[in-house]
Amino acid sequence: MFKKILIANRGEIAVRVIKACREMGIPTVAVYSEADRKSLHVQMADETVPIGPAPAIDSYLNMDRIIAAARSTGAEAIHPGYGFLAENSDFARRCEKEKVVFIGPNSDALELVGDKVRARRAMEKAGIPIIPGMKSIAKEFSEYRSAAGGLGYPVMIKASAGGGGKGMRIVSSEAELGPALEAGRREAMSAFGDESVYLEKYIEAPRHVEFQVLADNEGNTVHLFERECSIQRRHQKIIEESPSRALDSELRTKMGETAKKVMRTARYNNAGTVEFLLDQNKNFYFLEVNARLQVEHPVTEFCTGIDLVHQQIRIAAGERLSLVQSDLKQRGHAIECRIYAEDPTRQFLPSSGKILFLKEPQGPGIRHDCGIYSGWDVPIYYDPILAKLVVWAEDRESACLRMLAALDDYVILGISTCINFLKEIIGHPEFRAGRTNTGFIKNHFENWQDKEKSGEKLRLALTAAAYQAMNSGTAVRKAATGAVRETASPWQSLGHWRLGEGR
Amino acid sequence: MEFEFFVDNALHRISLEKKEDGFEITDGETRLTADIQTVSANGLSVVVAGRASLVYIARDQDKTYVSIAGQQFILQEPGREGKGFHGADEKTQQGALIVTAPMPGKVIKIAVAEQEAVRKNQTLAIVEAMKMENEIKSSLDGFVKSIFVSEGELVDSEKPLIELVAKKETGAPAASGSGRP
Repeated sequence: MFKKILIANRGEIAVRVIKACREMGIPTVAVYSEADRKSLHVQMADETVPIGPAPAIDSYLNMDRIIAAARSTGAEAIHPGYGFLAENSDFARRCEKEKVVFIGPNSDALELVGDKVRARRAMEKAGIPIIPGMKSIAKEFSEYRSAAGGLGYPVMIKASAGGGGKGMRIVSSEAELGPALEAGRREAMSAFGDESVYLEKYIEAPRHVEFQVLADNEGNTVHLFERECSIQRRHQKIIEESPSRALDSELRTKMGETAKKVMRTARYNNAGTVEFLLDQNKNFYFLEVNARLQVEHPVTEFCTGIDLVHQQIRIAAGERLSLVQSDLKQRGHAIECRIYAEDPTRQFLPSSGKILFLKEPQGPGIRHDCGIYSGWDVPIYYDPILAKLVVWAEDRESACLRMLAALDDYVILGISTCINFLKEIIGHPEFRAGRTNTGFIKNHFENWQDKEKSGEKLRLALTAAAYQAMNSGTAVRKAATGAVRETASPWQSLGHWRLGEGR
Repeated sequence: MEFEFFVDNALHRISLEKKEDGFEITDGETRLTADIQTVSANGLSVVVAGRASLVYIARDQDKTYVSIAGQQFILQEPGREGKGFHGADEKTQQGALIVTAPMPGKVIKIAVAEQEAVRKNQTLAIVEAMKMENEIKSSLDGFVKSIFVSEGELVDSEKPLIELVAKKETGAPAASGSGRP
């Protein structure tokens, strides 16, 4: 087993990996940018190495600095988390050359599945069903225009190196194609360092169903069933669950076996996810391979009882897969809500700033994977995911109820988050009925606004704020006159109510 | 003692007085007695007529953040001018309009030039934050008077980006539009 692992990531996923390493008795090295000195992952690791300025391109995407950090600390392996260098085959190859183990697939497999266009071609050849689309990256706008014309609008722009919705755009007419390509390329460049984009036929109202796969270095491959990730905004998942209401055991077996075939075709090893779109007639199409640990991996961990990060590390260390397909079972129902720093009432605009207070929900069947803490400033440079709230219960309805209670128990003060919005989705009758597709938010929550605040809770909030102002001794505006009155509160001297005073 | 706060742009008043047996709350016609106890650094236990609530609260400058059983409130103290809560990210003055950054981020593109005529919903600039591009669109027909930032610049929330002037014949200043995408 490895004697030391470097985590080439930040935020909740770096924390998640550090915790797994601790459980396995493996010391960890955190790397961090100038914006992340105070981040949670830096506090938790055994060793830390600064790797450059705040923009990811100068730090978390800087291969030289990360390799140098592994060298200088004697780390034997690098866990890339998700995003940043996780699916960068050049980086995996660099690691192979430098004799540092990349905890992920081999660089050839990564290169194949990472090149979405090549991957689609290879899968099509292997008899895997795929969505109609461009089979190569075009150079000229005219090529994109004619490809789009051939597929028929609407079409989808996708980043060749992409994932997570970055660089993705739906284009519904030729007039939108030019600007959308430009924006998609720019986003792809800044997220992945590669501006290649291609076009695909856009399938309307599909479900997003993906299969978790584990493969060891000898090619032993199992799938750990599906996750449904249909609830998306900006083509980015926000709620994931397992099992999917859309699959029966026959379809599950068929898709699972197809997922394994995809991975074998790519000669893939380590953990990976095969994404499918499932249309309304239960036809499924191979979308892509996510050649990394997924954000939503805890959902699978809850339902199968298998720790995917432990498995990743064991496989990377050369251990043989101890899991056999026939032994694997799904039990109960798990749901994950992603907690983003964003304002759902303002088109999900990212929100940064100081987290004044955090209270994590707790209780049986509740898991909170988190990279934040009270007093931390959320930087503007990175993905706005703060944490993931995951619940498990014996059936879907119980899991929904548990999630609602956990969201009620969740407090983040100081920045906008999507918590209220998530509650409304979980509470929505169509969600509860399991009638989900990737258009769910657009169909049911377009221009969503938080409910008007009134009644008892508002009065309580006003009372609490008044109490706070009264006790903090700062200037308070008196009603009616609009004049400022300094309140010299007699209770000021009684307590130590100094919290939350202006910085 | 009377207090005023803006919640979602609506002004609310409440009065709180310390009494022997707790606090007297006056909210319009309603008068209640509350037992308010500080139970943790950010927690208040409020009991009104036997009903207990746990209130989480934190203050940052002129904003007080409150969470009660999963519902969040942001209470803003009235500003110096007695004006309301974030009057949105545009300020109008006699037909001129300052378009401001909706969130902290990096200006990655300025899509217009000074003196250029713009149409409503035309993209003026693109601000990137947390790897998402956000198009800043014009809320009016008019022209660009000045540009205050350049491409590549890091901007704070509400930093003025561009000043627009509404087209003459519309007359009225475009006050209610949103500069957000």
